[in-house]
Order: sequence, then structure tokens, then C-alpha cells
Amino acid sequence: MELLEGELEQIQRETENILSRHGTERQELIPVIQDVQGRLGYLPQPAMEQIAAAFKLPAVDVYGVATFYNQFRLNPPGKHQIKVCLGTACHMLGGHIILDSFERRLGIKEGETTPDREFSLERVACVGCCALAPVVVVDEKVEAKVSPIRVDGILLAFEIEKKEQEKEKAEEKQEGGGQDQ
Amino acid sequence: MNNKVNITIDGELYQAPAGEKLLWAALDLGIYIPHLCGNREEERPGASCRLCFVEIEGGRDPVASCTQEVREGMAVQTRTPRVDRLVRTAFELLLSNHKLRCGKCPKNRSCELQKIARERKLKLKLTRLRPLLTAELPTDDSPDSFSYDPNKCVLCGRCIWADHHVAGVGAIGFVRRGFERKVSTFGERPLQESICTQCGECVKVCPVGALTFKEESK
Amino acid sequence: MSISQKYAALRDAAIEKFEKTKQKPRVLVGMATCGRAAGAMDVLNVFREEAAKHQLDIAVEEVGCMGHCYAEPLVVISKPGFPSLCYGPVDEGMAQRLVADFLVNDDPCYEFAMAALEPNDEFPTFEDFPRGVVEQRIILADCGLIDPDDIDHYLAKDGYAALSKVLEMDPLAVIAEIKEAKLRGRGGAGFPTGVKWERCYQADGSPKYIICNADEGDPGAFMDRAILESNPHQLIEGFIIAAYAVQASLGYIYVRAEYPLAVARLRTALDQAREKGLIGKEVLGSNFSFEIKIFQGSGAFVCGEETALIASIEGSAGTPNHRPPYPATSGLHGKPTVINNVKTLSYVPHIMRRGADWFKSTGTENSPGTAVFALAGKVVGTGLVEVPMGTTIRELVYDVGSGIKEEKEFKAVQIGGPSGGCLPESSLDLTIDFDSLQQAGAMMGSGGLVVLNEDDCMVEIARFFLDFTQKESCGKCTFCRLGTKQMLEILTDITRGKGNSEDIDLLLELAEDIKMGSLCSLGKTAPNPVLTTIRYFRDEYEAHINEGRCPGLMCKDLISYMIIPEKCSKLCDVCIGSCPTEAIYTRPDMLKAIHLDKCYKCNSCLASCPPQYKAVIRVSPPLVQTEEGGVQNEQQS
Repeated sequence: MELLEGELEQIQRETENILSRHGTERQELIPVIQDVQGRLGYLPQPAMEQIAAAFKLPAVDVYGVATFYNQFRLNPPGKHQIKVCLGTACHMLGGHIILDSFERRLGIKEGETTPDREFSLERVACVGCCALAPVVVVDEKVEAKVSPIRVDGILLAFEIEKKEQEKEKAEEKQEGGGQDQ
Repeated sequence: MNNKVNITIDGELYQAPAGEKLLWAALDLGIYIPHLCGNREEERPGASCRLCFVEIEGGRDPVASCTQEVREGMAVQTRTPRVDRLVRTAFELLLSNHKLRCGKCPKNRSCELQKIARERKLKLKLTRLRPLLTAELPTDDSPDSFSYDPNKCVLCGRCIWADHHVAGVGAIGFVRRGFERKVSTFGERPLQESICTQCGECVKVCPVGALTFKEESK
Repeated sequence: MSISQKYAALRDAAIEKFEKTKQKPRVLVGMATCGRAAGAMDVLNVFREEAAKHQLDIAVEEVGCMGHCYAEPLVVISKPGFPSLCYGPVDEGMAQRLVADFLVNDDPCYEFAMAALEPNDEFPTFEDFPRGVVEQRIILADCGLIDPDDIDHYLAKDGYAALSKVLEMDPLAVIAEIKEAKLRGRGGAGFPTGVKWERCYQADGSPKYIICNADEGDPGAFMDRAILESNPHQLIEGFIIAAYAVQASLGYIYVRAEYPLAVARLRTALDQAREKGLIGKEVLGSNFSFEIKIFQGSGAFVCGEETALIASIEGSAGTPNHRPPYPATSGLHGKPTVINNVKTLSYVPHIMRRGADWFKSTGTENSPGTAVFALAGKVVGTGLVEVPMGTTIRELVYDVGSGIKEEKEFKAVQIGGPSGGCLPESSLDLTIDFDSLQQAGAMMGSGGLVVLNEDDCMVEIARFFLDFTQKESCGKCTFCRLGTKQMLEILTDITRGKGNSEDIDLLLELAEDIKMGSLCSLGKTAPNPVLTTIRYFRDEYEAHINEGRCPGLMCKDLISYMIIPEKCSKLCDVCIGSCPTEAIYTRPDMLKAIHLDKCYKCNSCLASCPPQYKAVIRVSPPLVQTEEGGVQNEQQS
């Protein structure tokens, strides 16, 4: 993946910041990786190399840890993250149908991000809300008892929000422009 | 370690160093036990290939002999119906995910899988299980002197040990998880683009045809 | 000041504060993850806004989970002069009425109430319902009734009294008490906790470590989350006691990354405990010092396995290692380490305070105490329940869970998640304890209990769990990495109608070998869901393989949706509107029909067809589209 201009510097700065807050004993490795992802949203390769150098580890060891755990992502996530729970209860109450619906609506498969980087879709193995199955976590909000129709509703809400934001922006621009004159 | 004790293997009495791992003691005595991941130098055995099963008198189930220390009076069976069954299944499982083209493989006739098949009279083709190697991964031909075919890798980890501890380089390691676990480089780049020095230590220890010197294939 | 004096001072201050809050009306809103998902945040806001509007002097508090998930969002109102009443599910409108009618005026709105919390002359309590009769709460008792973010709530209920007592005992006496209580590990396998502690205590090596395994990864269990979110101090107290017993100086609580709220509450709780001198140097003025750190998991089910969990804390990929050596002798950094589950540790303060005999008075001879289950699936009363060991599955499903939803037919319970198994109707009278479940081929596991009904396909549920374990396998050992993959391939073939007659036997052979040959318990238990479903529901496997038919009408490839012409109302268009793929159309005679090629089998039409018609049905084996683009209804006739 190509980094944008200035992105590399930002990655290095953030990673350095986080490294300075932790020790470099091996057991700090996972907390450091977690913090870097928390800050940057994903684990860029330069960050992993920087971490490896600080811990005096082969870079492939850091990469091995990063690719072992579900939580870590190697690519930037979408603006909105949709996590479909496929725990037992959710699966038996149609969680897989919900996942299908999102995949169909967004035109991506689980684990992918839409080309416009608006949405990323993931499956999670139980968020612990089994009694409210099937459950979807949209950004940080837990949606209970989701139906295929609700899937459309969730996405529609984002669409409307986005349109309104664009409208506002356009209006601001106009207003701003007006003041200039 | 020099303290030798009496152990019985398959009914025969032997002397073996106390504390030595059973797998190595047996191999030193000329008794073959199938194995792929075993590494004598490693203090804590990985015990991942699940081939070196034996039954030890007094134990409930077959155990991996690479994890058992030799002790006085130990009575070991290397061939019982349960052991044979586990070895067969583990072997077939490995084959189900292995590119089986022995005729074209540089390791033909020096491959550990072939040796296991010969010693234990197992077939080198899939009869019972489904082939799992449906989408082949590309072979990494980038190094000058050797190539790496992940479709033949049995994930024994010996190359990684050699890379980290013999060569002291640290170019390769296990990446990903589960069925997707494989030996690769940082960022899963071709070896040529990694910090690999092409010293060849990893190729020397590969028990199968995953890592092979280019001359061999000629 | 002695340890007990120091403690008494803490407790008395807490009681004084607690008593004061009791004098004014209190509104407790269940704000665990499940409550939030059901909309508790909005309800909480309504109470706060309405209270402000009416200028009421009341306390609105966030509490954890009471376990009645079927009735979330849940609210408890305690007003002096009235019994404490529990309401649920509460929506914003109801919240407004409760403020106006009950808090402003004196009408407790009994029509909305579920139950009272303490016996009274006005309204029944939870104990008056079948669920309450069977349930016996030890570690869930205070969940949802105390503020998890305020240590004084816990202290006021004699919290940390056990710790104060233990700190004046010999560590060996503490271990002896736990051994005497026959407490068994609630993480799944049921290993005696006291024995584990003793081994670690006796092991050479220093420092010693203790780890609380809160990496609840079973995809159908949420009791650890609920306990962490609702009563974190109970766990922390048990954790400190365990640390004292084995003389550990540092403890880790390994929490699942998917539980952000639990982590936040745990952090708050640890800070408060540290402030009160319950953690840190010289706990309560004793000569025992102990520090606790939180380690957040990164999403790997296999890290529930002890050696993998240790590898993870040490900063590596969570791949298990061969045992022995066991962690009790050589664990974290090669030092003696005890690893206990959240629930196990939560029992400890209760046992130390009330004694081993009290604990043994509940449950069975070899499995004393209670079992906590997360009841989910096709059961009416979903939620968290705590019942004595020895309760039957029937009591659990029908009395505690109030039976099957929508009056459907019971088919099976799945106990113990990916390591457990499915038990059929004939096992309903099986008593639940560690040993009986193991004999039946299931496992206590972490306590997930999913109820399945006639609409559930047993092959599919086996496939689901294998898919889970296969994805979560660390990939280190051959049997688990490739064996579970083989089994998954076979099961997938069967659910797609592509199985063959040898597949059942092959599954059984592989299952046995994987159980015996795998390196760790993830692999060793992974075949259980397949083994039990074949043992009890072999006919369903055979129907898939031999007839291409899914009796549960669940396997997508083996069913079709159709609209029964006789039942379709003609005038109603609901199904057409509900179909996301526009597969439903109106025929010239106004009846609706489904175009099979376009149908995605999402179930929307079936769910939306008004109950007075019930015209949409599923059939198996699936229908075939005729060449002339034929309409399935006609084909059927």
C-alpha cells in the first residue's frame, strides 16, 4: 500500500511517542502494538519495523504477532466499522444472513473495506450480547435484534448523514464565499 | 546426562542417558520413530508435527516422544494400534495439504515424508481425506541459490530455528494463524526483498521439498 | 491499627455513605453492554432529564447486569415507603411515566413492574417465579444492584471482609479451606482450585505470578463479561486472596479485547482498591504486597488455553506449549503461576467468609456450589442464570428459561460452546455438573447454553462450531490445523448436499484422532460438537447425505422459499416490499410468487408475511426452476 505524503512522518512520530511511554522488554510488545493501532487505526509496515528495532527483535517476529491476533489490521479501516457478531446465538438467529446482507449492500466481503474507505466489514465471534441476537456493532454502538431490513436502515442513516454533512459544507463554503466578497 | 539408565523399547532392553528426550534416545539406538519438527537443540520441544507418538507403560494415551524424558525402567512401545493410527492420520493430514509431485521434486528420495511412508508402509497419495491444497501459493524463486515452495511446507519450523539461531539473521518466521499459518518474511515479501543473506542454513534443515537449492533441481 | 480495624474503618465509612443514599429515591439503570444495546442509555437520559425538570432530589445510578436480558433495558426503583421494584423492558415513554407517576406522585405503576426485590405485601418478588425458585445466586447476587464504579457499594455489603480475614490466616490454611470446599475451576475442565494453588505454593521459584483468565472467547457465553461489568470488586477480592494463598506478588487480569466496557470498569475498580490500600504495598497494613495489571487480549480464542495465554502475556503469538511442565510449577517467565477463571475467583471471597461447609451445602457431592449459565437461543427467558450444580437441564430450560419461544418444539441444548456438545430431548433430565456433562459427551465449558428448536439444523450447528475452532486454531499442530479443516470441509459438503455415504464414519475417525493427537485442549475438545450431534442426531446427517434434505430447514443450499397460493391474500404486498433482491413478483392472477434464481434466501418474506396468512414457507429438498422460467407454486402442484 502506498503511503500519502507526510503520512510516513506522522506514523514515525506517533510510534516513537508510544514507544517512549513503554519499556522495551518483550512483554511490552503487544501493548505497544495495541497502542499504535489505537492511534493510527492500523499497523503500517514502517511502524512495525520501528517497533522491532526498538525491541531489538527481527521485524518478522513483530509481523508474526500482528498477523496472529484477530484485532490487528494491516490496512487502514473504513470510516465506519461494521462488526457482525457470529457467536452461536447470533448465528442460529440469522447472523449469517445479516452478514450476507451487509456484504451484498456494500459490495465487499467480510474483512474488506469499501473502495471509498467509508465502511469496513468484519465478523466477530461474540460480543457477549447473546440474549439480543442477532447483534451488529456499528462503530461503537451495539445494534440489537438486527433484521435484513435494519441493515438497509443502518446504511441509509449513514448515507443521509453524509449527504447532510456535504450540504452543510457546501453551504458553509457559500457563506464563506459570500463573506469574502 | 551421562548417567545411563535401563529402558525397554518394543520389548528389547537398552541403555539410554537419563533425562534425554525419548525421541533422540531411540534414534541414537537405531530405532526409528517418525518425526519432522523435532530439534535436538531446542530446550522446550514444539511437539507440533504430532508424528513421534509412542505408548509408555502406565500412561493413559499415546504421547509425543520428543516431550518425554528417559527414566529408569521406562517401558516404551513404538508400534501399537493406537500409535499407528495416530501416525497414519497425522501423516495423511500433512499430505492433504502438500503438493504431491514427488517425481518432479528435487527432494525426491531424500524427503522425510517419503521416509515415513516407507518405514510405516503408508501410501504417498490421498485415499481417505479431501485435498486441502486447492489454491496454490506462488513459489518464491527470488534468491539466487535456492527457492521456497510454501505448498510443500509442513510447518516444522526447523528453517526458522536455523535462520534465527544458526545463521543469526531473523529473516523468516511463522506468520498468520490456523490453516493460513506459514513460514514467511516481514510483510510476506519475496526473500530477495527481505533481510535474508542467502546463507542457505535454512535450506539444509528442510526435511521436505519446501526449501531446495537450485542446483538440486537441475 | 490491626488489619481488621483498618478494614472496619473502610467498611463503616462506606456503610454510612450508602445509608445516606438510601434515604432518597434511587433509580438504578442496567448499563452493561447488553443493556446499552437494548437502549438503556436513552432510558437513563430520560430519567436524568425528567428528574431535573421536576426538580426531584433523587439518585440516578448506572449499575451492571441483573441477568434478565430478555427484559432489557432494566430499571430498579427504590423509593422509601415502597418495596424496590424492577421494571423491564423500559422504553423512553415508560421512563417518563415512572418519573411522573411514581417518583413525583406515589403510584408505583405496578402494571409495568416485573418483580419486587424484597418480600412485601404488595407485589411478588423474583423468588416467587419459577426462575427464582430454581435460581440460587452467589456470585451474581449483587450484579445489577450495586454501582460497579463505586467501591463503597461493595464495601458496604461486607465486601473485602474475606480479604481482611484471610490476611490474618496462614496461606496454607487458606488453601486448605478452598480444598475443603472442593471448589472446581469454572473455566471449563473443573480442575480442583485448591490443588492448583497448593502446587504453585509449594513450587520453587520466585517471584510467583497469578493470572485471571477473563479471555471469555466461547461464542455464546457472556457471564465473565457481566461479572466484570457488574461486580468487579468481587473478582478483585478473590484475586487478592488467591495471590495471598500462593504468595504471588504480581497478578495479571487477561481481558478480552472485545470487552471495552469491562476493561474500563476494571480499571476504575483497581484504582479505587489501590486508593483504599487493598492493592499495592502492605495490603491493609499486613506484610503482604501485591500489584495487579490489566493485560488486554488481542482476539484469539486459543489464548483461553493456559500456555497460550502465558505466551501472549510474554509478548508472543498465542501458541500453546506441551504440558507438563504445568504453569503451577513453570508458567509466566518460567516462574510458578496460577491461572484461574473469573467465576472461580469470584466464589473465593464467599467461601472464605462463610466457610467451606456453607459452600458444600449447595450443589452435588463432587461439584459443590452453583453453575452460572448464559442462557441464549430459542428460549423465552434469555439471560444470565445461576443455579445449584445438580439442577436438571429441564429445570434450566423450562423453569428458569420459561420454555421455548413461540411455542416451538424443543430439539437440543448446546452446552459448553466449541468444546461442548449438543444434548437431545432424552437428556433433559440429566443433572448438570462437571462429571455428568463430560459423560454425556458435552462439557461445562465456560457455561454457554444455547437452546435449539425444531428449526435448527444439527449438522449446521456442528459445522458452525467447527468453522469457529478451525478459524481460531493457532495452526501449530497438525491435528488441529489440518484435522479441523478436514472435518469442516466434510461438514460443509454435507450441509450443501454434497456429502457421501462414508462421510459420517470418516468424521468419527478423524474426531477420535484429533481428540487424542492434538497438542492442546482446543484441539482435543474441538470434535465434541460433531461427536455429540452424530451420536444423538445421526438421522439428520443421513437426511442431508442420502436425501439432500435439511430437516431443520436451515441449510441454504437445501431449501427453497415458496408462497402457498391458497394462503396468499393477493391484496397484500408486504413480502414484495421486504425482499431485498426483488425476487418476489405479482402474477397476473394477483398471487405473489418467488423467482428462485433471484431469491437470496434471506428469510425476510417469511418473517414479514402477516401472521393471519402465513403464506410463505420453506421446503426441503429445494425446488428447481423450470426451463420456461416456471413459477415454483405451479411446480409444486
